[in-house]
Amino acid sequence: MSTTTSTQAAPPARRPLRYYQIGSHLFIAVMLLLSLIPTYLLITWSFKNGLQYRWERWAISFPLRWRNYVAAWDIVGDYMINTIIVAIFGLMGMLLLSLIGGYVFARMDFPFRETLYYAIIALLMVPWVLSFIPAYMVYVRLGLLNNRLALIIPELAGGPIFGIFLMRAFISGIPEELYESARCDGAGVLDLIGRITLPLSLPGLATLAVLNFIGVWNSFLWPLVMIQDDEKQMIAVGLYKLARSATSGGVPGWTSQDFSVWGPLYAGYVIASLPLVLLFILLGKFYVEGLVDSGLKV
Amino acid sequence: MTEGTGTVQQGSAAEAGKGIPSRSRELSTWQAMRRSWQAYALLAPIFILLLIFNYYPPILGLLRAFYRWRPGVEASFVGLQHFGVYFTSPETGRELLNMFKLLAFFFFSGAVVPFIMAVLIFRIRDTESKELYRLFLIIPMLVPLIVVILLWKQIYDPNLGVINGLLEQFGLGFLARNWLGDTATALYSIMFMGFPWVSGVGTLIYLGGLGQISESIFDACEVDGCTGLRRTLQIDLPLVLGQVRLMTILAVIAGVTSFQQILVLTDGGPGFATMVPGLTMFHKAFRTQQFGYAASIGMVLFVITFAATLAVNRTVHPAVEDVRH
Repeated sequence: MSTTTSTQAAPPARRPLRYYQIGSHLFIAVMLLLSLIPTYLLITWSFKNGLQYRWERWAISFPLRWRNYVAAWDIVGDYMINTIIVAIFGLMGMLLLSLIGGYVFARMDFPFRETLYYAIIALLMVPWVLSFIPAYMVYVRLGLLNNRLALIIPELAGGPIFGIFLMRAFISGIPEELYESARCDGAGVLDLIGRITLPLSLPGLATLAVLNFIGVWNSFLWPLVMIQDDEKQMIAVGLYKLARSATSGGVPGWTSQDFSVWGPLYAGYVIASLPLVLLFILLGKFYVEGLVDSGLKV
Repeated sequence: MTEGTGTVQQGSAAEAGKGIPSRSRELSTWQAMRRSWQAYALLAPIFILLLIFNYYPPILGLLRAFYRWRPGVEASFVGLQHFGVYFTSPETGRELLNMFKLLAFFFFSGAVVPFIMAVLIFRIRDTESKELYRLFLIIPMLVPLIVVILLWKQIYDPNLGVINGLLEQFGLGFLARNWLGDTATALYSIMFMGFPWVSGVGTLIYLGGLGQISESIFDACEVDGCTGLRRTLQIDLPLVLGQVRLMTILAVIAGVTSFQQILVLTDGGPGFATMVPGLTMFHKAFRTQQFGYAASIGMVLFVITFAATLAVNRTVHPAVEDVRH
């Protein structure tokens, strides 16, 4: 991305800023500031006590109440660990199947290859509203209601649909000579996948991992209907339930102290956002590239 | 040696000459399939999972839309009854109208506004501020969707919300209201969530598309005196039509099928003011156990999504590829 922007900025080096340039800067800045307001409020509110929340709504209140975060972690932490467990198992399986599927469709020649490939890609066209209700019934029939597997399997089974699409395109770009020479050395299919394809397709896998992790972290309706035990619940539903109990009745352990439920609630929201922030700092490049690519290919 | 190769060539020539390529070809397909058993073995786990969890449910849903259906009870065929009930129930018209309003609005907020924002950012000459703007676009995306929805619920709150607080501060207290609890404003408040709708994947996808356009086109364009709005409509827009199509389809799908924010913000209320078909489907299944009825609503939504997607695909044709680098 940075290469394209630098080439675009090259020609008009010494030209004075025109009025519309200043106007655009202003307009963009205002729009971005407006869109950052909720995030700003979220962070400032997370450090307030009840009185500060009531009377100092817009300002940052000092001293910052880090205890809100301690109180929030007691409740939000478990939901986050649950979600990370689901993400780890689901993503590992999803990445493995996408790598294998991508390799098979990109590098192996066999009858009905394209038919099978389009049979998978066609599933991208099935909207989730059509399968949501029947999928629930299928999982209930298999005895997976209130079972963590019900959260992992959709990732494992559904993730490779887009994964194979992306990895096939990615693996097709690897030079054939690498495979040739490995085959001459007597490498089998599994060697070709594990020793050659895997290390060379890490950027593609990273893109998939980021996109799917965001999906898992935001998944709401499915865990809402599949999981009944609070101890197994995922983060999005956990926050929804926490917000409901905070506004009606209160959260055990929060109201008894000298602060209102609001500070810890927003602290919980901030904590729940941190994994996405961390992910973006580490792998943000792959996320943006994945988005841009999907915009071009679809 | 030479004799041997000669016979082989003769043999193959003779086979080709016999005019039965179809049979030999069938045989070779079967042989090829057996030879590439490894490929099928590697794909087997993927297809087993897909068959159970991704092919079977939608097909089952299409069938069970015509059944009375709930967990633990034998499904019984009811024909078109669910569709009849749905399309004659008094709330359905309201729901569909709400859905189309949301769809039209999502087109504006998801496909149009990000395009304008992307064009503006793309034309900024200063690379550093460009990068900064891009970063600021991403920051709100790092907050999970449920947190965004819950935050907006708080922003709209009649007593503690910042919107009413601001109105009172500026002496406009008479405008303050229960935004999500008022029939007149509830649906529009749901639309307004996320204002000014610039951050998110849309702007980044458009920026990516604009970045792909060849520099020479803009140079030629500038020489011809094509700038400003004219350039936007005649150069930028046609060359990112692929992205426009993608964002339009995503907006349509979101408009027809998404109800998470409605479930959290109003749960369809007050009354049926913010009800949409997707939320009705959810309620019918998980509150009154009418899974067959819910599946039939799902089928209706599928048909609408499918038709709208097809219509968008037919009308929006991306420009030819060779103008890109």
